[in-house]
Amino acid sequence: MSAISSESLTKVYSDFVNKKLSVTALNDFTINVEQGQIFGLLGPNGAGKTTFIKILLGLVNPTGGRASILGTLLPDVKVRERIGYLPENHRYPGYLTGEQVMLLFGGLSGMNHAETKSRTPSLLKLVGMEQWAKMKVKKYSKGMMQRLGLAQSLINNPDVLFLDEPTDGVDPVGRKEIRDILKRLKSEGKTIFLNSHILSEVELISDRVAILDKGKLLKVGTVDELTVTDTNYEIGFTGSLPENFHHEAAATVMKFRVDKQIISAELKDASELNHLIDMLRRHGIDITHIAKKRTSLEDSFINLIKREVAS
Amino acid sequence: MKLLTLILATFRELFSKATLYVLLGISTLIMLGTLASVSAEHTDEGVILKAFGNPVSPPTPVEEVETLVFGMQTGLAKGLFFGIMLFGVFATASVIPDSLEKGTVDLYLSKPLARWELLLGKYLGAVAVMLAVILYFIGGIWLGFGIRTDVWNIQFLLSSFTMTFMFACIFSIVLILGVVFRNAAIPIIGSFLYLMFIDNLLDSREEILFLFSESKIYRGILDGLYYILPQIAGMQRSLAEQILHKSMEWKPFVQALLSSSAIFIFSAWIMRRKDF
Ligand SMILES: Nc1ncnc2c1ncn2[C@@H]1O[C@H](COP(=O)(O)OP(=O)(O)OP(=O)(O)O)[C@@H](O)[C@H]1O
Ligand SMILES: [Mg+2]
Repeated sequence: MSAISSESLTKVYSDFVNKKLSVTALNDFTINVEQGQIFGLLGPNGAGKTTFIKILLGLVNPTGGRASILGTLLPDVKVRERIGYLPENHRYPGYLTGEQVMLLFGGLSGMNHAETKSRTPSLLKLVGMEQWAKMKVKKYSKGMMQRLGLAQSLINNPDVLFLDEPTDGVDPVGRKEIRDILKRLKSEGKTIFLNSHILSEVELISDRVAILDKGKLLKVGTVDELTVTDTNYEIGFTGSLPENFHHEAAATVMKFRVDKQIISAELKDASELNHLIDMLRRHGIDITHIAKKRTSLEDSFINLIKREVAS
Repeated sequence: MKLLTLILATFRELFSKATLYVLLGISTLIMLGTLASVSAEHTDEGVILKAFGNPVSPPTPVEEVETLVFGMQTGLAKGLFFGIMLFGVFATASVIPDSLEKGTVDLYLSKPLARWELLLGKYLGAVAVMLAVILYFIGGIWLGFGIRTDVWNIQFLLSSFTMTFMFACIFSIVLILGVVFRNAAIPIIGSFLYLMFIDNLLDSREEILFLFSESKIYRGILDGLYYILPQIAGMQRSLAEQILHKSMEWKPFVQALLSSSAIFIFSAWIMRRKDF
């Protein structure tokens, strides 16, 4: 059973007054998230990331398609007992303290008071908010709100956690802490669904990522699958290259660069790769490894979006 | 359980606001005013009831004082009714739009809480707060009259519940406007207009509004509205009957209960179709 799955999910926000302002926020979106994974959903502003989460949580009614969480077809109120959610721009009642927020939302999660009360201190400690537990939320800084939000999303010990920009407004040390928390939650078997702009961060913790643009799924896979390129190779070798190698190679191979014992080459296809290998072998050079080179997730993301815009 | 959590949260929300304390402060002043100004002077000819030192009745035999006090209390209740309702709406209307605000509604609705449950919790929370306020207010005045005149009109005290019920009916209008417009101003203005004008005009439609046209459709629409919307004016008459210990007309209450329930269900239906 998958943790989250959607099938041809579509959402059109209709504007009845000005039809031109109607937006297709999600277009035939099909995705599957296995239990126990950290899944990152990436996409530019307005791609539909938040809309997807909101449909899953019953905040937005889909126009078409279907979705389920933990095998339960949505919409379903009961399944939310097993879900945690950190919304994008969450606002807690300012007159409550951090601790009271935990108690209130714990109660609304269907937990009894004693349970909530016993979980609250450890959760506030987990996000580094224990010393602010008795302070009114209206006095919190942005990062403190975010930390409280994360603690609140965990109050019911959820199996599936939805986080919309969890590190928004959090300082670098705090971000690292949050990443560590997420890793720990994953090791406890929880599924984490993450929306984020900070690609370097997603790259560090996600098992799988999907890239969404204008409501359409562009690509889904592991970080490795998404960052690997078909054109960039690196070839390790021992010994030294002969004098005329550069000249010889430049005549046939498009672009390459030698850095110590590694040749980085941008090749058109496999035949060019083989050509390069033949050349090296002809000069009696020992090859230690050949690997496809990775780009950063950011580069691959930008390339993908650019290609989408161009087409 | 979740409903109770919501009601308690609404209680706390409203008691964190200054407006409610202003309402409680005004109530306290009026209560103390009653205690200070109402008095009963026993003379040879009978009892003279006084307000602010001035007699409000000729000397009356002791047995008939009760009726006089009932009358005073009825007048007071009528006078205070609009004040309590309008101020009450003013102090509580925000609970609906505040809980539907971006960033807040997300938190509520991502919990195992149906949308109608959220509305019901907020609705009952506001009504519970007003029950507390009205009991304090009317209870205080009741105590003042009791101490000063020795007339303990239990029906006056019980009218707190009647008034709270009437507030709940008015709040259904606050609710539906709050759900549709997601702000506090329109529900406040809307329920003020309803309470001050629309309800009275519909109540006396045969004497006033029917004069404008003899059209069947026009009159039909007015009749329809009269039966669909909670009949506050009718309940007000019953409220007076209650305090005066007369037999109480209960039909307006049944009508108002049905009407408010229908408005609630309609609000929940609108709420269900919304995207947040
Ligand atoms: N309640 C709404 N009513 C109308 N349109 C909406 C609503 N919510 C979102 N949209 C539109 O849907 C599109 C997708 O919005 P969404 O919030 O899902 O994007 P996002 O990927 O989360 O963006 P961001 O990275 O900026 O958070 C946008 O064009 C937005 O204007
Ligand atoms: Mg978003």
